[in-house]
Amino acid sequence: MLELHELVKHFRVGEGEVVRAVDGLSLSIARGELVALYGPSGSGKTTLLMMIAGLLAPDSGSVIVGGRDITQLSERDRARFRRSELGFIRQSLDLIPGVRADDNAALKLLASSARRDAQRAIEPLLERLGLDGRALQRAEQLSMGERQRVMIARALSTQPTLVLADEPTGSLDTERGMEVLSLLAEVCHERDVAMLLVTHDPRAAAFADRVRALRDGQLFEFEPGGAYAPSGAR
Amino acid sequence: MRLGTILYLYRVRLRARLVQELLAVAGIGVGVALLFASQVANTSLTGSVVRLTNDLVGNATVQIVARDPHGFDEAMLARVQALAGVRLAVPVLERQVRILGARGGQDVDLIGVNTTLLALHSPLLAHISPEQMNEQKGLAVPASVAGRIGARPLTPVTLQIGARDVQTTIALPLQESDVGSAADSPIAIARLGEAQQLTGMADRIDRVLVEPQRGRDALVTGELHRLAGPGLSVRPADFDATVFQQAEGPAVESTELFSAISALVGFLFAFNAMLITVPQRRNLIADLRLDGYASHEIAQVMLFDVLALGAVGSLVGLALGDALSHSLLQAQPGYLSLAFPVGSVRVVSVASILIAAAGGLLAAVLGVVFPLRREIFTGSASELSTSAPRASAGRRAPGALLGGVLCIGLSTTLLLGEIENVSAATFAFFSLTLALLLTLPMAFTAVIGLIDRMQRPVLGVSSRIAMIELLSRTTRSRSLAIAATGAIAVYGSVAVEGAHQDLRDGLERAAAAVSLGTDLWVTPTGSATTLATTPFENRYAAAIRSRPAVLGVADYRGGFLDVGDRRVLVLGPPRSNPRLVSADQVIRGDPGLASFHLREGGWLTVSRELATELGLRVGTPWRLPSPAPRTFRVAAITTNFGWSPGAIVMSSESFARAWGDRDVSAYQVLLRHGQSLSGGLSQVRSALGSSALVVQTASRHQSNEIAGQRQGLARLTAIAALVLLAAALAMAAAIGAMLWQRRGRLAGMKVDGFDEKELWGALLWESLMLLAIGCSIGALFGLYGQVLLDHALVSVAGFPVAFSAALWLAVATAGIVTAIALLVVAVPGYLAVRVSPALQD
Repeated sequence: MLELHELVKHFRVGEGEVVRAVDGLSLSIARGELVALYGPSGSGKTTLLMMIAGLLAPDSGSVIVGGRDITQLSERDRARFRRSELGFIRQSLDLIPGVRADDNAALKLLASSARRDAQRAIEPLLERLGLDGRALQRAEQLSMGERQRVMIARALSTQPTLVLADEPTGSLDTERGMEVLSLLAEVCHERDVAMLLVTHDPRAAAFADRVRALRDGQLFEFEPGGAYAPSGAR
Repeated sequence: MRLGTILYLYRVRLRARLVQELLAVAGIGVGVALLFASQVANTSLTGSVVRLTNDLVGNATVQIVARDPHGFDEAMLARVQALAGVRLAVPVLERQVRILGARGGQDVDLIGVNTTLLALHSPLLAHISPEQMNEQKGLAVPASVAGRIGARPLTPVTLQIGARDVQTTIALPLQESDVGSAADSPIAIARLGEAQQLTGMADRIDRVLVEPQRGRDALVTGELHRLAGPGLSVRPADFDATVFQQAEGPAVESTELFSAISALVGFLFAFNAMLITVPQRRNLIADLRLDGYASHEIAQVMLFDVLALGAVGSLVGLALGDALSHSLLQAQPGYLSLAFPVGSVRVVSVASILIAAAGGLLAAVLGVVFPLRREIFTGSASELSTSAPRASAGRRAPGALLGGVLCIGLSTTLLLGEIENVSAATFAFFSLTLALLLTLPMAFTAVIGLIDRMQRPVLGVSSRIAMIELLSRTTRSRSLAIAATGAIAVYGSVAVEGAHQDLRDGLERAAAAVSLGTDLWVTPTGSATTLATTPFENRYAAAIRSRPAVLGVADYRGGFLDVGDRRVLVLGPPRSNPRLVSADQVIRGDPGLASFHLREGGWLTVSRELATELGLRVGTPWRLPSPAPRTFRVAAITTNFGWSPGAIVMSSESFARAWGDRDVSAYQVLLRHGQSLSGGLSQVRSALGSSALVVQTASRHQSNEIAGQRQGLARLTAIAALVLLAAALAMAAAIGAMLWQRRGRLAGMKVDGFDEKELWGALLWESLMLLAIGCSIGALFGLYGQVLLDHALVSVAGFPVAFSAALWLAVATAGIVTAIALLVVAVPGYLAVRVSPALQD
């Protein structure tokens, strides 16, 4: 589903210094597969996600999603791709304050549906994510875990084939974090979605089909307790 | 809490919210500026007349004054001086004349006085010695007047007095050091003898200013009343100022009404800006509570915020208002200058400054304290940490709606019961304003809900995202504050401008009623042409009649008459005029019968406010206090023909009897059938020879009258435009700030696949709906406000008003404000959506 070929992104900072954020990275993820990616701060995780989402152009290499090279698309088509084929679960829970949970979850559906239709369409997904009793609550009335699930619902609302998750448990306590990881794994397999999970959370490995480590812009095999593993996983 | 700590906290926080604080300062500044500028415009108009009056009368407290434009015999002076208790009696001859120089002409108040005026310690001549005055030849005019007409010292000028042209010279231009504030007044000072000679009124004066001996005012006033007889009146020395204040009343009240609306718009502007900083202040209060500070200490911190904001905002506003009063809102006397010596002096009273500054401080107090009152005075730290909207807001909505409905009911009751005085009119208008503010939240929610239900026809992702944002409860207060700003500004503008238009249309009808019904008018030149109130010798009729184009010439008489504290306009159309009193000016009585009675003689019509004041009804007799007092019967109650102190209509012949004088103030000329107006004009002009009379067509005469009346009302239009512009900018600034703060969320939405065009469209849709809803609700209330003000103008002041619903004005006003604000918002909106997509806050 997702194929990254020799992806390169270097940044020039200061006086001639070059930061190799992503340096010849290749990776493929099949449908229904959850890949967890560990890496310390500054390892290039965010740059990699931005390039897969079409928000940042690579210096070289290609990002193939469903057989199509995202880097070759126009800006408008890249936006369409993000909206309809990609689900992006972000660390920041930027729900629209004062607005109901179902409206927040259905935001992406508004591109093609009227509000009432979008609300109806999102209902089963909210139910699946355990938010069926909370759909009418406003954003600020939800717990952090519920807010994260609303963000997951938004990401999955357009039935994407690829989901990118950036530290989805970053704002949650241990129990809620486990719940979310479990949920993502279930959804990935149930919906046959290719999922790339970028995280620091040592428990994520347990839910992933494959685990990789990212350092200095390159991928390494993940070794639990090894040099590239997060401290908790050692 | 120590002042040093408060200052430190303020300084630290100011760095973080400088833009928002500047917006709040601008909001308060705009409100203060509009309030201050309109106050100065009002005080300047009154002040110019009051100052000139006081500068002339000096220590005099009472005067004996002629009712007759021909004045009275100068011998009366000796009789006044001989009265018991009189310390000093000073003769004055005063005439409205036109002075022509090399560069043009100007209407001035010619004041003829002698050296005895110096003994009154009159500030007007405080710096002129008796010798200088005795040696003066010609006219002393302020340098401003000399400059305007292009006259230099000792150069010849022409005086046009009634139908006569007289040559004289300019003695010396008077500087401010010579005549003080009168340096900006339209006056010309001459020795009494010379003034009498120039005006053709040898040995005649028209008033004697009297300074009684200490403590003998009552005695002197009684003696003067005994001496006066029927042709003279005894008045306070500053009577002109009193009469002018009465005449200027409606213009002042309408300007003050707009000042209040301006202040409200300014306050809402500030309130909008303050709402942006509320979360920061709320966090500060929470931190202070956690650190153990008590409510009164937190109140001190907030009080410092109020004082800093209010003081800076007020200072900015006073400076801006000063500039406005110099340029856009200069005192415009309009038609009032026909009866009063209105100058261009700018009077800034301490009261104007204090009122405006107090308004600024009040806006700051409400803007800071109102949204945070719970947190400051009763809140606990735990309550403060939640950002959830309070449930009580929802419970308050039906109560507010009920209050709004009650306010509308109150205004309607006052309207149906005929608004009888200014207080009732003001109360009804502000009750309606309150109704608007109280019903706005429910109306806003209802409209948003309705649009949400009808969303299918509104295509596109942008409009749907906009709707989601508008449905947010968290931003509801801010949205309502923005909508209220537009609503109040549009409401005030539509109501006042609508009433203004109706009044203008009504005045045009009144002008038509006076001007039409003849082909040509022959009148003295200058502004005297407008109302035809300057008398001249009746010796031109035969020459005009002899011209082949002329079918007939009729005498028209008009003038001003002081009735109580009112300087009433008296119209005396000839009996032959088919429009003796126009049907659309009659409020009570039968127009046909009224015209019949006026033709008959011994009858007159009085305007409504005069009738109310004197207790007159149709058919009742009234002894007119004219130079030759006579008893008339009231044929009808009319409008005031646009002259705010009141108007009387009688036939020209009745006028001549009541004034005991055959002089006329205009001729109405009818041309033969088939004769062109231009041909007629030219023949009548040649018949007038070298006189100072001018001839104009009836439609031209009407246009001049309308122009004079419009000039007096122009201030309203200027303020209305400023209020709308301020509101548009206020809303744009508030929305712009709101959108700018949303950049983080916009960055996230870009990651979700929304492109810049869609997001910009969403922001514009949201702004458009917010603006359009607020302005439309304001326009709707504005139409009702217009009806209210129309009725107030008729009921209270007796103005001729052509009732209408200013639908186009309402639509255009709401549309223009929305469009301006939207155009301004488009820029920060565009910059906000250019934010880079972000995965984290």
